[in-house]
Amino acid sequence: MKRFRVPNEHEAVERSWEVVRAAYEAREPVTWPRRHARPLVAGALVAAAVAAVLSPPGRSVVHSLRKAVGVENAQTELFSLPARGRLLVSGKGGTWIVNADGSRRRLGAYRDAAWSPSGRFVAAVKRSELVALDPKGNVRWTLPRRSPRFPTWTGTPTDTRIAYIAGGRLHVVAGDGTGDRAIGPAARVAPVWRPGPGRVVAYATHGKAVVYDVDGGRILMRTPPGLPQKLAWSDDGKLLLVFRPYGLRVYDRRGRVVLQDDPSDATHDADAVFAPGTHRLVIIRIHGLASDVFTGRNGRLLYRGSGALRQLVFSPGGRWLLVTWPTANQWVFVRVGRPRQIVGAARISGQFGGYPRAVSWCCGR
Amino acid sequence: MAGSGRDERAWVRRAQAGSVSEFEALFRAHWGPAYRAAYLVVRDASAAEDIAQEAFLSAVRTLDRFDRRRPFGPWLHRIVVNRAIDWARARALRPEAEAVDTPAPERPEHDEELLRELDRLSPEHRAVIVLRYLLEYTPGEIADLLELPRGTVNSRLRRGLDHLKERLE
Repeated sequence: MKRFRVPNEHEAVERSWEVVRAAYEAREPVTWPRRHARPLVAGALVAAAVAAVLSPPGRSVVHSLRKAVGVENAQTELFSLPARGRLLVSGKGGTWIVNADGSRRRLGAYRDAAWSPSGRFVAAVKRSELVALDPKGNVRWTLPRRSPRFPTWTGTPTDTRIAYIAGGRLHVVAGDGTGDRAIGPAARVAPVWRPGPGRVVAYATHGKAVVYDVDGGRILMRTPPGLPQKLAWSDDGKLLLVFRPYGLRVYDRRGRVVLQDDPSDATHDADAVFAPGTHRLVIIRIHGLASDVFTGRNGRLLYRGSGALRQLVFSPGGRWLLVTWPTANQWVFVRVGRPRQIVGAARISGQFGGYPRAVSWCCGR
Repeated sequence: MAGSGRDERAWVRRAQAGSVSEFEALFRAHWGPAYRAAYLVVRDASAAEDIAQEAFLSAVRTLDRFDRRRPFGPWLHRIVVNRAIDWARARALRPEAEAVDTPAPERPEHDEELLRELDRLSPEHRAVIVLRYLLEYTPGEIADLLELPRGTVNSRLRRGLDHLKERLE
């Protein structure tokens, strides 16, 4: 088989080379300092670590270096969000709502949370119960369950459902806490409701993603093997993102792969999201000691940071993108359109009792 | 064929720096195997050309982020073979879409027969045979490339080879 050649191969290679060369020449190569920033930062980090261990003055070096990683001129606190809406965050310090004016309210010691479709309530979980709250933190109802995780809420203003994982199974319960039922075995991956009519949920089970029609009680689609780390629908419900750090896939409703992206070896993806109202993906790729945020279709770089960027959350309307950056203990807000604008907020873990996970940016109310 | 690991790392490094000639060396070293692999899975020269070309365009888009300590070939072949399988599956669902492009043979008779029998296999079986015997990956490497359990790769290889042996004997 190694001897095999496709007839007219020479013409094909020349045709392709013309196209590929044009694309190569049209790209914007990364400049010298940026390409060499990674080894320089690596060297600096190692030197600082050694200095910190060996001498008390070294600790000030570490402090200086830590300050050097992150957005320059970042706000010393999160004073406000750059766009309308309210941000829901969860972490070791509990679940919080951040309002557009920067004011924060801690809802309680919940480890996962989700907005209701209208943004009027929050579903959250503790060690042994699923809870529905209002945004002031008042509990509306509770449902005792063993180790519930990953609540996600869907529906109309008058009829909603919450999907969550408990005891290794996917559960669905009505928005008033009644009619809870187990659907089937599920992995510890957040399920996601498909936007639009009907109650269709994507979840992970048996090492693959499954799309399930809750009303009809039937499986609509199964992906090939490969346990996802995250699932997400495009806003129109036509595309499903199955995210894994070493290869993401986007499926259409018939289960066909319409987009795939495989990071090169020794790089991996930290997160990917659909830009609101589009089929365009934005991806965080970690390579060595730096991370890039770029658009999947044309590879346009939106942001680059030292260390690990972790998460992407779009503002309502999609003008701003929140990039969480634990290495710098910052949140970075990137204005996606023009003019490009970057706003940093520092000391995030100090404000939330630990570096939190941004759940979603809701509703513009 | 692809150059040595050291050549390849140098090509990638200089291509990242903007050298067209080094990028061309990388392209010419890898395009042929990628194109042939795609062709053997999809059996359509135009589609194979598109698939190999699109894989290289993807490489251009992510060149700056490429980790040059790692080999370029497996990364490229993963994209090519997965896309080829998707294309072949899609065509199987709409066979009326277009006729298969089978160019005039300029091969020994045995190759012709082998290709015809290869064609009778599913795209998934063709892909593992191509990865094993054209691109010379080990079953473990194929499992990584296609994100399949190793046992699945072995059984596809076994079934594919059994079929070819039976038909060609």
